[in-house]
Amino acid sequence: MSVASRARLDRRLVDASVAMVSVVLIIWTIVPLYNMVRVALQEKEDVFSNSVFPTTVTWHSFETAFRESYWLLANFWGQMGTSFYIGVSVAFLTLAIGTLTSFTISRMKIRRGWMLTNAALLTYMIPMSFLAIPFYSIMGKYGLTDNPLSVIAVEVTFATPYAIFIFKQYGASIPQELDEAARIDGASPPQIFFRIYLPLMAPALVAIGTYALLLSWNEYLYAFLLLSSDGNITVPVGLGKFLNSDEAPWNYLMAAAIIYALPPMAIYYAFRRKMNSGLTMGGVKG
Amino acid sequence: MTQLSRRHAIAGIGALTAASTLKPRRAKAAEPVTVWWTQGFYQAENQAVIDAMAGWEKVSGTKVNLTIMNGPDLISKVIAAMQVGDVPDLIHAVTGDRFLVPRAAWDDKLIDLSDVIETQKDEFHQTALANSRFYNAALKQYSYYAVPIKCATLMEQTWRPMIEEAGFSDADIPKTQDAYFDFFQVVQDKLRSKGKRIYGLGYSMATKEADSGNLFHSFLVAYGGAGIVLPNGKLNIEDPAVRKAAVTALERLTTPYKKGYVPPGAINWGDVDNNNAFFARQIVMTPNATISIAVAQMEKPDQYYKQIITQGVPDGNDGKPVPSLVGVSPCLIPKGAKNVDGAKALLKAFIQPNNLNTYLKETRARFLPVTMSIIKNDPYWQDPSDPHRPIAVQAGLIKPTMPWWMTYNPAYSAVLSEQIWSQAEANITQKNMTPEQATEEASGRIKAIFERFQIA
Repeated sequence: MSVASRARLDRRLVDASVAMVSVVLIIWTIVPLYNMVRVALQEKEDVFSNSVFPTTVTWHSFETAFRESYWLLANFWGQMGTSFYIGVSVAFLTLAIGTLTSFTISRMKIRRGWMLTNAALLTYMIPMSFLAIPFYSIMGKYGLTDNPLSVIAVEVTFATPYAIFIFKQYGASIPQELDEAARIDGASPPQIFFRIYLPLMAPALVAIGTYALLLSWNEYLYAFLLLSSDGNITVPVGLGKFLNSDEAPWNYLMAAAIIYALPPMAIYYAFRRKMNSGLTMGGVKG
Repeated sequence: MTQLSRRHAIAGIGALTAASTLKPRRAKAAEPVTVWWTQGFYQAENQAVIDAMAGWEKVSGTKVNLTIMNGPDLISKVIAAMQVGDVPDLIHAVTGDRFLVPRAAWDDKLIDLSDVIETQKDEFHQTALANSRFYNAALKQYSYYAVPIKCATLMEQTWRPMIEEAGFSDADIPKTQDAYFDFFQVVQDKLRSKGKRIYGLGYSMATKEADSGNLFHSFLVAYGGAGIVLPNGKLNIEDPAVRKAAVTALERLTTPYKKGYVPPGAINWGDVDNNNAFFARQIVMTPNATISIAVAQMEKPDQYYKQIITQGVPDGNDGKPVPSLVGVSPCLIPKGAKNVDGAKALLKAFIQPNNLNTYLKETRARFLPVTMSIIKNDPYWQDPSDPHRPIAVQAGLIKPTMPWWMTYNPAYSAVLSEQIWSQAEANITQKNMTPEQATEEASGRIKAIFERFQIA
């Protein structure tokens, strides 16, 4: 066998191996999602059937979730509203605190500003779950248990350090000369912040806003711990109640979970280009 | 510019701090009663408690803030609330008798409810009453720290069409422990020979929640291990009879699993999963700690009346009845509750036999009453046309019963929380230990736990 044909054979073997691994990975990733859809498209009695494909496809579960016509979904849209309220508030507050802090540290050059950034990053060394009881205690003292504000406060606490870090790194790529030119033209610090700093930070804002929203959207522990009443809980906590039911409504659970997954998917795909550039540029000092 | 910006920044932070400062909550003179209640397995259970609370609100004029949450979450949340001292006034935790009350009472975190119990003391079933009495290490005495609301014991649920398809009838189901459970292995073999992929036994064997513990301990008692903890709170695991019972129970539970008579996923089943496997007709029978499986199918008369068989635990291998381990679902009032008087008034009203009966019937009687007069005065409970309820009444209230050992020593609550016996099962099925080795390891851990809970 010639060297050229040997090299061709090797390349084909490598290509075949890559293709095989890819197929395995795709199946590994897709099967749980497929199973979720398959269960949602079946009636309750068929959920545990061994067939790979639904024997009878029905939209009944989605209709039930939309109409809130099953007892565990009786407040589904209310819970969805709470999830939105918490998610949007967390995203907004994280962006507000993160941008203001990074602007103060990097553009106004306050003394020992680096300490604030590093201290914020230190909080990442403590897992979220370790602080559950202290946070529960604090919220109890302030009368905020069973109040979505408590979850917002906690989520913002956890999202902000990462936001400050990314904003500070990203902000370093914006030339200081722009600030100086604006100052010469008589711009005040708030004007520089709103008219120069924020518009140029748009990719990072999108990335961090989406990150903060998804963090709170999928969060269970604090939402479960701090919220109690049916009118205040989020969708993940509401769906958790399915796991205690004797009526095996897995199809309703999956349908509700799919509906709940749609908004973050839409947000991700709408902003994914800006998200990617925001996250990657944040890692490179310009 | 820099000075101006610093001032701006400081002023901004000051304004934000001032705006976000919140005053700590103050107690009011006449507060509502805040109640946390375990979510039911079906809607009627939730509705029953909502109705009961609404009824009491009307009578008492006191508002009830009722929150219903699922069982395991409720207990985690109560423990967190107790640690920080921000607790509800009244808690109903279905598995609270094993996972919550014993150690909370030991730690002196609960209000003594003897005065509430006293109002119905003569009415309560003795085992239910025994299950509500716990040791307080600070006061060095036993007292009532829980009020029993409902009770349950392990029941066996079987699909009649499956045993008929295997060529048997109800009369063929043996009555004694080993023969009873072996029968379902024969049923599986017969069904498999017809091409059905069905498992004979729906044993819960996970190291979580309550069902696997219920099953193991039912076996432990059946094989003579009822004396694992003595009424004086002392551990008795070195007793050869108890040790032999534990080894036999582990052997009899794990061997069918290893032989393929139990679904492989049973080692991960939560409390609801054996029910789901039963409804999906993947298993012929399953032991379950109430008659919830049948009751959930009440609106399907064919299943409720014809297809599902309910039985109590089988007799011992010697043919003598085995005492049913009865657990209660308690109400409790944590120390730090803001409206203890309101909570006690609510409880006293709730456990009036008429009120309790109405509540339990509205829940479709998945659980049993804790007061015997309900059974005697209302024919609903022993209605011979019902194929499930009277059998549960017999097994849980009329035949010999016994309380769980946490009432003697809260250490056993830690044994259950740590799932030591389920872990022993896992050691046999997953790590190939022998039942003797697994029992030895479990008993070592249990002895270490009991060291921490010395009854004075």
